[in-house]
Amino acid sequence: MAESVFVIRQRQGVLGALTSRKWWENVFLRLATYIILINVCFVFLFPVIYMFSTSLKTVADLADLTVLWIPRTFFWRNYELAISGMLYWQAARNSVIISLGSGILQTVACSFVAYGFARIPFPGRDVLFLLVLFTFLVPPQTIIVPLFILYRNLGFMDTYFPFLIPALFGHGLRGALFILVFRQFFRNLPYELEDAARIDGAGPFSVYWRIMLPLAAPAIIVVFLFSLVWHWNDFFEPTIYLFDQNNFTLPLRLSILSAALLQMLAGQGAGDEFNEAVIMAASFLVVMPPLVVYLFTQRYFVESVDRTGLVE
Amino acid sequence: MQFEDNYMWVLILTGLAFVVPASILSFRVVLSAVGVRLTYRVQRAMDGYFYISTWIVGFMIFLAWPLFQSLYVSFHNVKITSSELKLTFIGWENYAEPFLEDIHFLPLFTKTVANLLTDLPIILVFSLFVSILVVQDLPGRGVFRMLLFMPVVIGSAIVIRRLFGEGVSTEAIGVSVQTLSEVVFTYLQGTIADWVLDLVNRVTLVLWRTGVQILIFVAGLHSIPLTMREAAKTDGASGWQIFWRITLPMLSPVILVNVVYTIVDSFTDNFNEVLTYIQTVGLTRDFRLGYAAALGWMYFASIFLFMALALVISSRFVFYAGER
Repeated sequence: MAESVFVIRQRQGVLGALTSRKWWENVFLRLATYIILINVCFVFLFPVIYMFSTSLKTVADLADLTVLWIPRTFFWRNYELAISGMLYWQAARNSVIISLGSGILQTVACSFVAYGFARIPFPGRDVLFLLVLFTFLVPPQTIIVPLFILYRNLGFMDTYFPFLIPALFGHGLRGALFILVFRQFFRNLPYELEDAARIDGAGPFSVYWRIMLPLAAPAIIVVFLFSLVWHWNDFFEPTIYLFDQNNFTLPLRLSILSAALLQMLAGQGAGDEFNEAVIMAASFLVVMPPLVVYLFTQRYFVESVDRTGLVE
Repeated sequence: MQFEDNYMWVLILTGLAFVVPASILSFRVVLSAVGVRLTYRVQRAMDGYFYISTWIVGFMIFLAWPLFQSLYVSFHNVKITSSELKLTFIGWENYAEPFLEDIHFLPLFTKTVANLLTDLPIILVFSLFVSILVVQDLPGRGVFRMLLFMPVVIGSAIVIRRLFGEGVSTEAIGVSVQTLSEVVFTYLQGTIADWVLDLVNRVTLVLWRTGVQILIFVAGLHSIPLTMREAAKTDGASGWQIFWRITLPMLSPVILVNVVYTIVDSFTDNFNEVLTYIQTVGLTRDFRLGYAAALGWMYFASIFLFMALALVISSRFVFYAGER
């Protein structure tokens, strides 16, 4: 009798230890996960923080090794210099026109094309879709010279049309990728919707425009944000097609900032100095708009990624 | 910005984007009005071409024709005079030059390929690992996800690349290059030591290129049905076994997508040294358009080969749950 009570007690003890060990394991795992994730996020955040902190430093702070992250004084003058040196508002306007315009056109055109590839059986569809994937593989540098000549003959130099017109046809910057995303999304929608619409007498265009496109909101958000951001950050094509500095986009302005500022400050005499901090301020101003857009849309964006069925 | 010179072409091209599909649609309407009876399959085929005709026209104008032209130019010597381009046919000379004369192209090319081969596993393992962590039901995972997708938004920016060029990358992982190189050179030999140091220098930049891959993996992980994992758990499988026997095979098509994306991304990246070199040869320094076109074509062909190789190798390991 006494023995069995002892056994039971021992068991309880063992059980208790087991449960607590499990509990500790869980806590440990959680902790490890958080530590790893925080580390990874730090690697991703670091350049942004570095940029922002450096952008507020005075020359003295830059040279001072004891000033690591937080400058002694927040020197906002750097931002004023960066804005005037880059002609920020003009360049931002150009960037907005190119990225917003191409973003909208690409989203609409790619979803339109992708709908055809995803839902309608027609002869040659698979071969044509392989062609779409093929366009994804072509480095822009391989065809840039003929394109340059083409656009020059059309009189598109120093305009936004080299970015907008291909987007209208579902091409342009990574158009193939966007077609792929939309196609994967449309393929997962139920066929009954279209069938019902067609039986009710909807033509091919209104099936797409009134039934399928409104359902594609998650894919639209993902594609639009990507297109917007990639066009905003694009450096290669604007360098080829834009010569006049008044048409420059922000990344182009950034690349000539040091020369522009030196010239600007040479006339003024002493007072302001051109330095690393100004460059960082300018860089921060260039990445800030897409970052703000992302911060506001990230909730939908993260949700969308889950629902896009990006991969099936 | 002058609009007068080019409004005609803008109108023509914009019109083309709309007229081509519209004409297919109206052709169908006219046929039915005249009384021609189309079978269902023909109708659907016309619908299909209605949707993709715009893309086909764009493909001809913005891809196929330029591609053909650059192929044509690559067999010629191009002289740029003030008014026009003068082409003289020289056969395969442009294609032979990188092997016989040019001392820059091949080293750059092998370096790009070697970088890709080291970066690819790092990118894949890292992004898979991070996305497995972040799909768990953790409090605050929304914040982590937001930060993890951030490289997608600004990672491609020239700004970030420049920052990394200035040695911020090693600072980010908390390594002093000085001490590290001492340690590395004590234990390793010349070439390997160089390789390790180079890798450390690049590693943050490499991690910064994982944004899209993490995104694709997260979406892929969400598409694995929970029931499978639960069944395995009921049968007594450990987390480790579940990962190898269920998650990984179910994820293999997604891994393939990521392999393809990473290869394309690193080969067509604008900061890629081969591409910068082609640009220098053709557009900024030498203006040797024919040679640049030949280099571009060879590079493109090698991307194509790489992709085919990746597909062939991986097709043996990819598991499609739908097929039996």
